[in-house]
Formats: sequence, C-alpha cells, structure tokens
Amino acid sequence: MTRLRITGMTAALALAGALAGGAALAQDIAVGHLADQSGPTSDVGVPYGQGVADALAYINSKGGIAGKKLAVETVDYGYQVPRAVAQYKKWSEGTKVAAIQGWGTADTEAMIGFVTKDQIPYLSASYSAALTDPGGKSGRTKAAPYNFFYGPSYSDAVRALLIWAAEDWKAKGGTGKPKFVHMGANHPYPNSPKEAGEAMAKELGFDIIPPVQFAMTPGDYTSQCLTIKDAGANYAYLANTAGSNISVLKACKTAGVNVQFMGNVWGMDENAAKAAGDAANGVVFPMRTGIAWNGEAPGKATLAAISKLSSGGADVYRPVHYLTGVCSAYYMAEAMDWAAKNGGVTGPNVQQGMYQKKDWVPAGMEGVCLPSSWSAEDHRGLMSVNIYRMNVGGATEAPVADLVKNGTIKLEKVKTVELERKADRLGW
Amino acid sequence: MATHSLIPAGEYKTSYAADTTIFPTVTSRNAAILALILVACAPLVFDRYILSLMIQIGYLSIAALGLNILVGFTGQISIGHAAFFGFGAFSSAWLNNVHGIPVFFAIPLAGLMTTAAGLIFGLPAARLKGLYLAIATLAAQYILQDFFARASWFSGGVAGTVAYPFSIFGYAFDTDARYFYVVLSYMVLCFVLATNLMRSRDGRALVAVRDHYLSAEMMGINLTKYRTLSFGISAFFAGIGGALYAHYLQFVSVEGFTILFSIQFLGMIIIGGLGSIMGTILGTIFMVLLPEAMEWLTSSLAGGAIDRALSLKNNISYLREMAIGAVIVLFLMFEPDGLAHRWKQIKAYWKLYPFAH
Repeated sequence: MTRLRITGMTAALALAGALAGGAALAQDIAVGHLADQSGPTSDVGVPYGQGVADALAYINSKGGIAGKKLAVETVDYGYQVPRAVAQYKKWSEGTKVAAIQGWGTADTEAMIGFVTKDQIPYLSASYSAALTDPGGKSGRTKAAPYNFFYGPSYSDAVRALLIWAAEDWKAKGGTGKPKFVHMGANHPYPNSPKEAGEAMAKELGFDIIPPVQFAMTPGDYTSQCLTIKDAGANYAYLANTAGSNISVLKACKTAGVNVQFMGNVWGMDENAAKAAGDAANGVVFPMRTGIAWNGEAPGKATLAAISKLSSGGADVYRPVHYLTGVCSAYYMAEAMDWAAKNGGVTGPNVQQGMYQKKDWVPAGMEGVCLPSSWSAEDHRGLMSVNIYRMNVGGATEAPVADLVKNGTIKLEKVKTVELERKADRLGW
Repeated sequence: MATHSLIPAGEYKTSYAADTTIFPTVTSRNAAILALILVACAPLVFDRYILSLMIQIGYLSIAALGLNILVGFTGQISIGHAAFFGFGAFSSAWLNNVHGIPVFFAIPLAGLMTTAAGLIFGLPAARLKGLYLAIATLAAQYILQDFFARASWFSGGVAGTVAYPFSIFGYAFDTDARYFYVVLSYMVLCFVLATNLMRSRDGRALVAVRDHYLSAEMMGINLTKYRTLSFGISAFFAGIGGALYAHYLQFVSVEGFTILFSIQFLGMIIIGGLGSIMGTILGTIFMVLLPEAMEWLTSSLAGGAIDRALSLKNNISYLREMAIGAVIVLFLMFEPDGLAHRWKQIKAYWKLYPFAH
C-alpha cells in the first residue's frame, strides 16, 4: 500500500535518517516527533509525518520560536506501543523535550499518565475522545491535561456522520429503521469511537448490527462484506486507516454489497481513492482542514512553500493528511511562541499557550486550519465537522495530481455538522 | 558443549567436585568477580543510551537463558518463547495493579505464574518430538497472544496495561541508572541458578534426555517429567525476564510479543551457542547490538559517497534489515558452534601467547 506513496516516503525516510541521532543543542528547543513510517498505519502516517516535519523545518527557516531553533527528532516507531514508550522515556529523561508530536491511539493513550507526570504537551494524531478530558471530571477516563490534537474527536466525527446518515436516509426515501454497523480492527484506535457511535446511532433511531472486525493491514475481507450484506446493513463506519479500508471497499464492491460507507478521518484520502478506484466512489468522510491541496485559501502560499522543503522545489500534490500535519505543527509552534514570551518554552507554559485564544487559527494558516479552541476544562478542539464525499469518476491509473486536476477524483462537501459541546459527551 | 570447561591436557581432577566446579582456577573466579564489579560501575560512566542497551541485554539474556535450557540442554524446541516472556510481563503488572503486591515480590511471583503456564503448554512435549513439537509450541504462542488481546481483566486487552516502577521502601528505581542494578542483580541470580542447576542431578538428566533419550530412559530418567520440567524452567526464566521488561518500560501491550520475537530468542541462543550459559549472554549481546551497529552504519552511509554512487537513498534503512539477516546466515555458516566456541578459542589463544603454534 505504501508503494503508492513512495515519493512522500523517500523524503520522510531521508529526513528521519538525517535527524536520527542528531543531539539537540542546549539552546535549541527540543521537540520529539513520533511517526509511523513503516507500520500498519504508515499509509496515512507518512504524509502526516511529512507535514509535521516540513512545517517545523519551515518554522526554523523563518527564525524558529523567538529566535531559538526547534531541534526536532523524528522517529519511526512502526505503530508499536513498546517502541513509542521506549522513545518517550528517552525524550523525558535528561534534556526534556518541550513538546511532542505524536501519532497513534494505543501509544498516546498508554502515555497519558507519563506526559501528565512529566508535564510534556503531547499533540497526537490520535483523536481519541479519551484524550479530551483534561480534568478527568467526566469520570470516564483519566485526566489528560497535556494531551491535545487538532481535529474533531473520533467519537464526534462518528456522531456527525450519523447525523448526516439519518438525514440521508430520509432524503433517499428509506423506509423503516436504517441499520448501522461499526467495522474495524480490535485495536484501541478503531475501538475508540465504537461505543459513542453506537449510542448515537441508537439515539437517532438506527438499528445496530454487531460490529464486524477486519485487521489494520490490507487483506481479503470478502467474508466481512458478506456478513454485513446478510445482516442488511445500510450504513457502515470504517474505523481503520485507508490501507485496510481500501481492501474492504474493493471486496464489498466485488461482493455486490450495497452499503453507504462512512470513513474515519484517517480512512479516506486522495491516495486511497486512487487505489480503490470506483469502489471508493461515494464514501463520505470528515475532512479536518478548510481546503484540500488544490483549494484556495489565504494560507495556501505558506503551505506551498512548506511543501517545497521536502519535494526538492517541485510542486507535488499532497493528500489531506499532509495539511493536517502542518496544522498540528503550527498550533504547537504558536503555543510555544506564546510560552517564549511568557516565561519560557516549558511544558506548562506551552499548555497555557494552547488556551490563550478562542476559535483560533495559527498565523499563516488562515483558511487551511479550521478555527479551534482548547480550554483547561475541555480539550475538544474542533466541534464542527465538515463531511465530504469522495467522487471517483473513471479510471484511476494516472498520478493523483492529474486525477484531482482533471476531476476524476473529487472531494465534494456535503454538509457541515455543528456539534453541541455537551458536558456529558466529554471524554468518550 | 556442556558446562564443563575444556582445560587442556596437564590437569588431572581427583574429585567430582573439582570436575563440576564453576571456576576451574582462582584467576578465572577473580576475573569473573572483577568483571561484575566493572559492570556495576557502568551507570557512573555511560550515558542513558548505553545503559538502556545494557538493561535490554540483561532482561533478554535471562529469558534467552530459559530457552537455552530448553533447546540447548534438553534438546526440545520452542517457538513460543516470546509468549511466555509476555505472560511474565502481564502477570507482574497484574499482580501489582490488581492485587497490590509490591513489584519487589511481583517479579518472582510472575516467574512462578509463568512456570505454571509453561508446564501446561509443555505437556505435549511428553509425547511429541521435533517438528511436531515445534508446531505444538507455535500453538502456545498464538493461544497466549490471543489471550492477552482479549483478557481485559488480566492484560488490559488490546489497550495494554501500566506497570509501576520497581521500588523498595518508597525508593523508586525509575531511571535507567537505578534500574540497571535491579536487572544486574536478577541477571547474576538467574545465571548462578542456571549454572548450578546444570551441575545437579536434574541438570544432568536434562542433558541425558537431549543426548540420547532412549539411554536416558533406560538409566531411569523419567522422560515425561524432565521434558515437561524443562518447559517449566524455561518459562520461569522467560517470566522473570518479561517481568523485568514490564517494570522497565512501565507499560505492557500485546503487540510486543509476536512470533518474530520468539524467533529472535532462538537466534540469540543459536548465535551464542546452544547448551552454553556463557553463550547465552554473548548471543544476546550480539542480537541487541547488531541492529544498533547497523543503524550506525546506515546513518553514516546516508548522504555519503557510496550512497550517491549507488543511489541508495531510502533503501538504506532496508539495507539495515537485510544486513542483519545476512550476518545471521554468515554466522551460522562460519561459526556454527556459536560465539561461546569462539570465546573459548580466543581464551586459549591468549593463554598460550606468544607460544601458540
């Protein structure tokens, strides 16, 4: 699956190689960057990690944070929790990092206790709702005061998709109760929004079909497709990342399953659409940024300059995850900026930096990142969910850039769901 | 192959005690003690990176020792060793988290719990041999791995579980420099234990089972008992190693204990030398340092003249994986008796230096 993203990977690996072992100078601001470039989620981990790395390198090229350079150490942990924890321990002892750009749900959730104790802000690419409760008041999860992420939580994304699905069912003139099924691996990441999604589906009048499992890696998932076909599912939520979702979409297309698939934020992108071809046509998914790569926004010029850092100056097409990685890095950088002006770039100061503004977009990323707000009581940054439909019209042999340009692959916005910031939904 | 050191001609033993002694000469004993003291000084000299490698060598060698007793000494086979390692890790965390047993006691208790698991999964060994046994132990690997993923009450399920640091009277061994001593103590304890086990009647019985099981049976050795026992002993060391790993990393999750890890344990003892206590340590050191050395090599290659000439670029990190495989193959071809054998030859060379002929 990663073969398609060889260009992104080339740069990512070269960068990782160059940064590995590069000790941070004392006056620099040490930042840890944990990425999955070789594990089961590397299909989306590579572009995201590249976005983070490029954005931080760009910030350095513009003078860094208050005159200090960011000493970023990018480490590929292969989506293995033990490797992530071992790496974290290196970063937290001795010269402590000021913040970490993380990745997966299993490792991020495992380290909630560590980062809280060590007071290291941790911006993950996991949007698990278990990371949204800084005070632990909900009683559902541990307090996670140092965990942040940019985007709607997995649970909120499912809720929004279900709200859309309920309307879609009516609009299509469906009769009776629509049936909803959660599909994903037995892993903390796909499991994260399962309960919240099923509770919401029940509330909206869906019938719930028992969840169907499929692994995080590509494989033959025909039997899973036949299961949901037999059960008569109408709406299926794909909780894995794009790589394995492609397998499901293709298998279900072959098996003639007539289901509306709804992807997780990591479950669909331009590369996946190319790989899945017409099987990906019609899949809806939440998009976290204001634009895709070909969109226009005030921040697009900066974004293009960032991208050129790793493309060798060429104008390459970047999937949605790249943009999200840039946003995550920029939110952290702006919080660090505030911290530098208010007592120095330490963990607690960077945390406070995240709380300073409401509905804010980091400077330079206007129109790219969506306005988010974090507070000491609530780390659900983004409550409005933009739902897009993936339209694939025709053969997808050409490079992604051409497919998007000629409209074969089109991301069409179908709805923006504004979710209420309900207290009883904090932490799950 | 056995523990008995090969003293060249000229020394004659007059008692069985002299024949089974651990240190054949006073110098060798003093050298071992000196080496131990030097190793104990490591936290004063080395940085975190080297210490973490040494700790890794520590807990992995304890587990590899268990496998060597099973494979090298008893002649059985197991490709599920990592599962026992994991069982020890989860058990220790479980005893501490759920039952509030201090980590100090949880580690040996986890060893005992793993022994029980090992005895159960060792039962097929009473009847199966060779490839059939290998497949039976493969079942242990998968059963335990699935158990870890599903038994939330025990292992926290797929989300894993926290393991608190080792502490005595409120003094936490939560840094590498401190935990180093915990692992070192366990390592000395386990290796002395294993060495002594091999000198006992039971140890000799295990070797007899390996060398010729029919003769062993005729001499009155209960094959079923010793084969199963060997699995139990092997699991005990794996459990101790796993528990030490758990409290070092302070987090245990199911994905770490795959069959690849089991194969790695086999690699350690084969490279180190089957049926050699010393070889176990050497093999573990080799397997831990090899990827690091390759990492160092590939990162120094990156961007260099060779990289540009062959346009390796991103293939460099794959080069690392391939080189590790190649080194193992070469090792098996040119040093089939393992590092322990090479170690003896080096010793013999220096003993005669400069009069070697």
